[in-house]
Amino acid sequence: MAQTMWDDVKEGQEISLTEQTSSQRLVIWAAASGDFYQIHYDDNFAKGNNLPDIIVHGALKGMLVGRLLDEFAGDKGWIEMWDVSYRGMDKAREDITIWGKVTKKYQEGGKNLVDLDVGVKKVDGTETTPGRATVSLPKK
Amino acid sequence: MPEELPDLTPEMKAAIGKSGPPTTYEVTSLGIRTFGRAVGYKNPIYFDAAAAKAAGHKDLVAPPGYLGMPVFNPNATAGRGVDFETPFKRNLNGGTGVFPLERVYAGDVLDAVTTLVELKLDRGRLGQMLIRTSETVYTRKSDGKVVAKTRGTGLSY
Repeated sequence: MAQTMWDDVKEGQEISLTEQTSSQRLVIWAAASGDFYQIHYDDNFAKGNNLPDIIVHGALKGMLVGRLLDEFAGDKGWIEMWDVSYRGMDKAREDITIWGKVTKKYQEGGKNLVDLDVGVKKVDGTETTPGRATVSLPKK
Repeated sequence: MPEELPDLTPEMKAAIGKSGPPTTYEVTSLGIRTFGRAVGYKNPIYFDAAAAKAAGHKDLVAPPGYLGMPVFNPNATAGRGVDFETPFKRNLNGGTGVFPLERVYAGDVLDAVTTLVELKLDRGRLGQMLIRTSETVYTRKSDGKVVAKTRGTGLSY
């Protein structure tokens, strides 16, 4: 994968991933995270808790934002931080789009930094997981 | 619906700023690969130790945000945070912040200490909620380095 260079990044630049949220993926996430709450894989349990369907783990959405940033930062970059809020539920089995938009490009403390707004959108465009991030990148 | 609280209880107020006992997290090759698979990573440094070494790493690399799993012990009491009595029995994950500080590798063993930094009552569409913000510091046992800090928001209603 091509390395993103700080010099080439522009404020307003957008990055995104579209991901599926099958029950199988949520089960793999349950194993990876140790979060075995049944609202994420047991249809009857979820409906018994007044949910429309099983729902995507908030933490999986948070870590998908981490992957978007990691792929943007590349092997020579570094994620300084990311922080997201789980504001809305995402029903499983619907695609989600993980996105980032560069809001600021600057140098500080010897680092070449980029701030981004990040989030996760449903198919209908509703934002469920707004947040922000800072990534440091190599300079030419 | 749980009983409404006019204010935080004295026990809740006393818990703010307190830290729980350290919890041991193990970062294993299996754990890294399962996390990488669930999140959809493709970078071989997260799946193949030889590829990670060829890229200059000492072992299989943990993707950002992966800090292993707490060691499961069916005979230990649960809970890594600060406990208090609460009428709110249902919990939702409100948010996650991650501050990666060092690369984490397969074989690392981390000590995680969680501190309750803020506790407040609020009202949302689920009625009255208790919002707790915690910070966890992960320290690698082998070299004493803080490898990451995380911030978590929990909503109880």
